[in-house]
Amino acid sequence: MKSETLVTLISEAAHSQKKRTALLFEGREISYSQLDETTSKVAGGLEHLGIKEGDRVAIMLPNIPEFVYAFFGIQKLGAVAVPFNTMYKGREIIHILNDCGARAIITLTNFANLINEVQSEVPSLEHVILTGERTLLFVEPDTTVSVQMVVGKDVFPDADEAFRITGNILLDALKELGVEDAWYNHRGAIRHNGKKIATILVSEIENLLVINSVLFIDDYDIDQFFKVVWVSPEIKDKVLEPMTSIQQITGSKPDMEAFKKAVAESAQKRLGIDLEVGELKRDELFGYQKQRSLSYKL
Amino acid sequence: MAEKWRLVYNPEGDAADMIAFPSALVEGRIAGKYMLSSESLPNTLIIQGFKRAGIIAGADVNIDKEAAKKQDLDVAKSARSGRGAPKSVGSMSLSDMMAKGSRKFKPKDVDPDKPAVLLYTSGTTGKPKGVILSHRNFITQAVEISDHYFKMDHKDTVIGVLPLFHVYGLANGLVPSMYFGCRLSLVPQYSPHHLLSNIEAVKATVLIAVPSMYMHLIQLARMRKSKIPKTMRISVSGGAPMPLKTLQEFEEVFETQISEGYGLTETTSAVCLNQSGKAYKEGSIGPPAPVIEMKVVDDDGKDLPNGEVGEIIIKGKVVTQGYWNMPEESAETIKDGWLHTGDLGYRDEDGFFFITDRKKDLIIRGGFNISPREVEELIYTHPKVQDVAVIGVPDKREREVVKAFVVTKEGEELSERDVLDFCVQNLAPYKVPKAIEFRESLPKNATGKILRKELRAGFVDDRLINKEDTKEAAE
Repeated sequence: MKSETLVTLISEAAHSQKKRTALLFEGREISYSQLDETTSKVAGGLEHLGIKEGDRVAIMLPNIPEFVYAFFGIQKLGAVAVPFNTMYKGREIIHILNDCGARAIITLTNFANLINEVQSEVPSLEHVILTGERTLLFVEPDTTVSVQMVVGKDVFPDADEAFRITGNILLDALKELGVEDAWYNHRGAIRHNGKKIATILVSEIENLLVINSVLFIDDYDIDQFFKVVWVSPEIKDKVLEPMTSIQQITGSKPDMEAFKKAVAESAQKRLGIDLEVGELKRDELFGYQKQRSLSYKL
Repeated sequence: MAEKWRLVYNPEGDAADMIAFPSALVEGRIAGKYMLSSESLPNTLIIQGFKRAGIIAGADVNIDKEAAKKQDLDVAKSARSGRGAPKSVGSMSLSDMMAKGSRKFKPKDVDPDKPAVLLYTSGTTGKPKGVILSHRNFITQAVEISDHYFKMDHKDTVIGVLPLFHVYGLANGLVPSMYFGCRLSLVPQYSPHHLLSNIEAVKATVLIAVPSMYMHLIQLARMRKSKIPKTMRISVSGGAPMPLKTLQEFEEVFETQISEGYGLTETTSAVCLNQSGKAYKEGSIGPPAPVIEMKVVDDDGKDLPNGEVGEIIIKGKVVTQGYWNMPEESAETIKDGWLHTGDLGYRDEDGFFFITDRKKDLIIRGGFNISPREVEELIYTHPKVQDVAVIGVPDKREREVVKAFVVTKEGEELSERDVLDFCVQNLAPYKVPKAIEFRESLPKNATGKILRKELRAGFVDDRLINKEDTKEAAE
């Protein structure tokens, strides 16, 4: 008996194909039995989130095995898959998610920022499910600077405030350095004239928040990076989103000391704290060395 | 008294520091919590500059380490994060979600006519519309169309290079491959070289692609001369017509036969096939599949005889039940089960169909529909734009590209760069105009409707195979 629906397609196929290969991806082989189990877990996981038959679940993924897991997982549950173009930008995504009333989206970790920015305009979207480890960031002397925070969750009333206050700290600092009319987009980037000058991502682990932000003080030589990195076009496109920099806007760039001073002053004011320059403690230093060697070895 | 925070200042950092500082601090605080360490670690702000250029990349990013060395770039990779790694607030990881599901999940019992998928496609009305495709639509495409033309089974290896979010890759690639137990090789990033080496590596027997990919493969093969993979038993092309010369050269070099398909998102992909070596006519989209009814009608919906040009309409189990939440548009497009394609064409005496023009204002680029209205509406929101019109024009290689005619507001200055930047920020790359022309005003009719035809001097439809072209190609 062959399947009459996409709901049972994978289990029927697994029944006859068993250990035969279903998917080939970067040297890996995924069998029909494995695919059957994985898609069952996706279906069950979605059901656990409260997704029901007929609910819409969006997929924004390139051709990776997770697309197939997500697609047939959604089918097994009898929900409606809404796969859409990974090249879409903010307002295109907002339109689709609102039009179909998607309750969940399964997408790449890289697009967390993008989804953060649109989520407040998509009231139906309850669940953001991220996959793939394709984050990509470039740093260059005199071009990029980073501001990171590792803080207790009690510092901010909620995640929105963590984004907003970090955004304001960076806006103040930019102002101090001569960039007047930059603006912070809810849960997203800081832009000037529509072009990105800084990015903010807030992550959580246990009772901690980890905030990562990168600011551009001068224009990137982005081509050098793409000579050595292979990424799919949708990721490249997001990385290449029009950017600007302090240099481009003000005609000069601050040195590191001036930048530190501006950020530290604004952080003290916005957070109501006293900042004191300090070193890592012994245990932290050990962890730091370990992480460094690990990240260069991988 | 204000709370004391620590400032870690690292003006001469590198790529690895971006990962190592926060991870070390997180690890310290979490371990401290469990060890009830007396020395509590403070909230910390880290400010870093960089003394070397570098890349910080997730575990799945492919990096050419040799090239990085040559470019003098550091490469810092994050460890593969298991469960419990930091995650973007308000999100969860797919693996965490799956951990709550069981591998014994029993598939639900669903009516085959219920919606399975919504695929968004641009029409003439501006914003993309959600085409409702049911289980039956997909299964019909796999069993009664794909399988009718080429039997696929577990011995086949299919190349999955077309995006799975597009109807063609989904309904002709993924679904039939899984239905018939094939091996599907997923190619997430298209480059001609990538595709060719994948075909070689997996010994592909089925290639489902678009004409530009076939052209690229030929170009690569010409340079290679030797070691051309000749395992492909089935090659399917769609999304745009393929010049006869390309088709013939590809068939010769790769020792395969190409079938050209025609279909729409609204028909769950293919409804006709022009099969080289079998039922093939140059410039035709082929006869419809046996389970498909297809005819040509005039503006009043009356059937037209062979050879007369009218709108092509389609009926069959692959036709959508309509657009999501758009009853009016649905009723306008599907009448008595007949899908009105908006494509103009004729049928010859042998039952082969030919497309001659497009009824709707639609730009089609590499198989993706682009609504001129959508692009216009976006550009119109630019504060310095007075008026705008968008049309499709042929590029050097006669493919359709987006062109915008812009009227700048009085007293304002607007450059091509400004308009392009604005589009790049807000539109998927394939919708971004390739050309901007500034005009004093736009041609309009009495009711203020823009006369696109007047802007379209020299316009050529991307999906038409010109008789002249094919003649030239054959010579």
